[in-house]
Amino acid sequence: MRPSRLLPWVLLAIGLASVGLAFAFSTLAGDDGDGFSTIIVVSAGVLACLGVGVLLTVRLPRQPIGWILLANALVISSIYLAASYGQYAALSDPGILPVSDWAVLYSDASWPLFFVGVTAIAYLFPDGHLPSPRWRPIATVGALSFSCMILMTPFNRDSFSAPFEEISSPLPTLPEAIYTPLASVFLLGMAVTLIGAVFALRSRFRHSDGIERLQIKWLALAAISMPLTLVGCMVEGLISGDVGWVTFLGITVVQVVVPVAIGVAVLRYRLYEIDRLISLTLTYVVLTILLALGFAAIVLAAGVALGGGSTLATAAATLVVVVAFRPLRDRIQDKVDHRFNPDRYEGLHQVDQFLTELRLGQVEPEDTGKVLAGALQDPTLQLFFWLPDENCHADAGGHLVSELPESPAGRTPLRRGDLRLGTLFHDEVLFDRPGLLEDVILKAGMAIEIARLRVEVRRQLSEVQQSRARILAAADEERKRLERDLHDGAQQRLVAIGLELRHLQHGLGKEDVKISQVLNSVVEGLAQSIEELRELAHGVRPSALDQGLAAALRELAARAPIKTDVEAIPERFDDQIEAAVYFVASEALTNAVRHAGASRIEMVASRVNGDLILEVSDDGCGGAVSVAGSGLAGLADRVESLDGRLLITSDAGNGTRLVAELPCA
Amino acid sequence: MRIVIAEDQVLLRDGLRRMFTDAGHEVLMAVGDADSLRAAIGEHEPDLAVVDVRMPPSFTDEGIRAAHWIKSNHPEVGVLVLSQHIESAGAVDLVSQSGFGYLLKDRVLDIDEFLDAAVRVEGGGSALDPKVVATLVSTELDEGVGSLTPREKEVLSLMAEGLTNAGIARRLFLTERTVESHVRSVFMKLGLSGGEDGHRRILAVLSYLGVGKSAY
Repeated sequence: MRPSRLLPWVLLAIGLASVGLAFAFSTLAGDDGDGFSTIIVVSAGVLACLGVGVLLTVRLPRQPIGWILLANALVISSIYLAASYGQYAALSDPGILPVSDWAVLYSDASWPLFFVGVTAIAYLFPDGHLPSPRWRPIATVGALSFSCMILMTPFNRDSFSAPFEEISSPLPTLPEAIYTPLASVFLLGMAVTLIGAVFALRSRFRHSDGIERLQIKWLALAAISMPLTLVGCMVEGLISGDVGWVTFLGITVVQVVVPVAIGVAVLRYRLYEIDRLISLTLTYVVLTILLALGFAAIVLAAGVALGGGSTLATAAATLVVVVAFRPLRDRIQDKVDHRFNPDRYEGLHQVDQFLTELRLGQVEPEDTGKVLAGALQDPTLQLFFWLPDENCHADAGGHLVSELPESPAGRTPLRRGDLRLGTLFHDEVLFDRPGLLEDVILKAGMAIEIARLRVEVRRQLSEVQQSRARILAAADEERKRLERDLHDGAQQRLVAIGLELRHLQHGLGKEDVKISQVLNSVVEGLAQSIEELRELAHGVRPSALDQGLAAALRELAARAPIKTDVEAIPERFDDQIEAAVYFVASEALTNAVRHAGASRIEMVASRVNGDLILEVSDDGCGGAVSVAGSGLAGLADRVESLDGRLLITSDAGNGTRLVAELPCA
Repeated sequence: MRIVIAEDQVLLRDGLRRMFTDAGHEVLMAVGDADSLRAAIGEHEPDLAVVDVRMPPSFTDEGIRAAHWIKSNHPEVGVLVLSQHIESAGAVDLVSQSGFGYLLKDRVLDIDEFLDAAVRVEGGGSALDPKVVATLVSTELDEGVGSLTPREKEVLSLMAEGLTNAGIARRLFLTERTVESHVRSVFMKLGLSGGEDGHRRILAVLSYLGVGKSAY
């Protein structure tokens, strides 16, 4: 391991050792409760600085911020160590341990060191460079003032502050006439540098954008804890007149929060959370204040009305606070979001609007993917729905997607309860903004679920439709095969056998009249069987369909026992469509003859706007209805399986008009 | 007669050949598909071609297309088309040409009538299957036909089948003179003109019955 790699761990060890030793000396010195809380506060700060410092220096050894944090931790822990060592070695058991006066001097005169780390970070955060070269002079002034002050303070000690009043400094004291003017100059330089630090940060924030702006926001969020702690201390001081747990807790939090925020910002870990954190913090601070004020106002008002100290007033106020909590929080959150977390606000707003339009039927739920892409500001975003039956994803159009896209690389599974809705493919950057991503998905949950259901139902419907069409096509094919088999197989064979018998008959002598007569009747029987087979085959599927719809319809009309006019386009169509139209015509004809008592039938097959339209009308008694299981209902099924429709107008006394519309490309 | 047969089923082809041979006709060639048929017609110039409608490769209307080909390339060859069932009007319409016949296949079992039809076609006459004629001659269809007596209707049907007066007389066991008077009566009632006998008469009858209107 190279020295630069090792150094952070060495410094960490030193820091930890310092804290441990300080704790030990403090205990040896017989410290009281106050000392114990000091240990906690100091340890928290030192440990936070050490931890974040090590993390930064190991990951980014060239970045000065981490080293500054480590140095800061060592300064604080060493001062604390010096103070406790001095307390024990100089006051509790004097004379046992050496250099107690140096330790006291260090702890007492090193105060300028406290400001070094904070100031340096303010100037160098977050990239380790000054905001611009223009800041170099003031940085030089700062470096000089701080160095000189640090060097000078040890020589101003004629006496130490409590409890070390009795200890004398091991160093000589500078005359007042020299020390005071010099110190004033350096203090002024320090003050200018400190004030400049605030302006440096402000200037950097103004000129920043994107990631740097977020980094500074993190620091700013941590910095909010300082004035909050200050207010807390003041309030506690006013109420109890003493320093209590609020102050103690506040300072501890500040000590920890600032280095952690710095670490987050520099490492860019979940950087995008900042908007959400700021808005959450603000929301809950404002909410707490409003609820507290409301509670107080109600208790006060009710107290005046009902008499002081009424538990009823307290109960009422509590109730109001409980009831008001959620709506109030949502409204404040909304307002704060609008101002401090505009992406989330805008995203949720878009989804909200979409849901409203969805309810009003102005948009389709399949647009959910597009809306999410807009709400999350990710044009690469893609939404795929999970179909458990197919064990596969599908897009909004209902097409199965067996190979999910490689990019975008971010994928978030979508669930609603136990139900798997699908997967969202999005830019990985969104993982850094779970607040935005999760909230938008949660809000859009209903729309996603509806869209998925629609996709699923649509797929299942089309599956059913396709299988219906397949079954019909198979049945048609089977009819065709059967018809061929009858005509070309059995029928022809019988004819051949008949011819064979005739040949036999031809060879008979004149004396075989009887045999000839038998043969005659056998051949007649054969002819009858052939005729029956032919009719059977025709019922299965009319061969005329091979010649086209027009021929088949004309043949149908020719067989009809009543006058039937046919007008049909000569165009050929898909086998299934021709068969469907033929069977509709055939059934309509049969009905007209059998049930309607018609004397004239008209059949027109035409093409209108890409649809094949068959119209069969008769002059019969009308009143035909399509009952489930009837011939007409079966035909309606057949027509619908081809995406067509069957319309029947049949008023009693006005004849029947049947229209089949079949789309054909 | 010198005959060429086109029939893809071997059993039936042999049966037809034997039947014609038994009747004293000469079968020059018996083939199994339309292309071989065209070649055979060109080679032998027969008096009659007996053609099956469904033949390889598609088993739809190869025979009918071959019949058209024969009629336009070798008009002197009579064509007798055989079918397993009543085909589209297109096949029937061919009958309005001279020397053409259209019969269901099983008509061959009634050898005398079948040979009679074959001879008619060979001689430039025509032969239309009785089953087709039956659908054409239907009382419900037409007032004119409705006004005919049953005997006259029989005569009309036989005329449509392509029979001559002599043929009709034989079939109905009547004298030719009686048949002639029936024919005159039918022509008057239907308002037809077209001669006493021969192909023009058949044309007039068929066109009255609606055959030939939708020829393709």
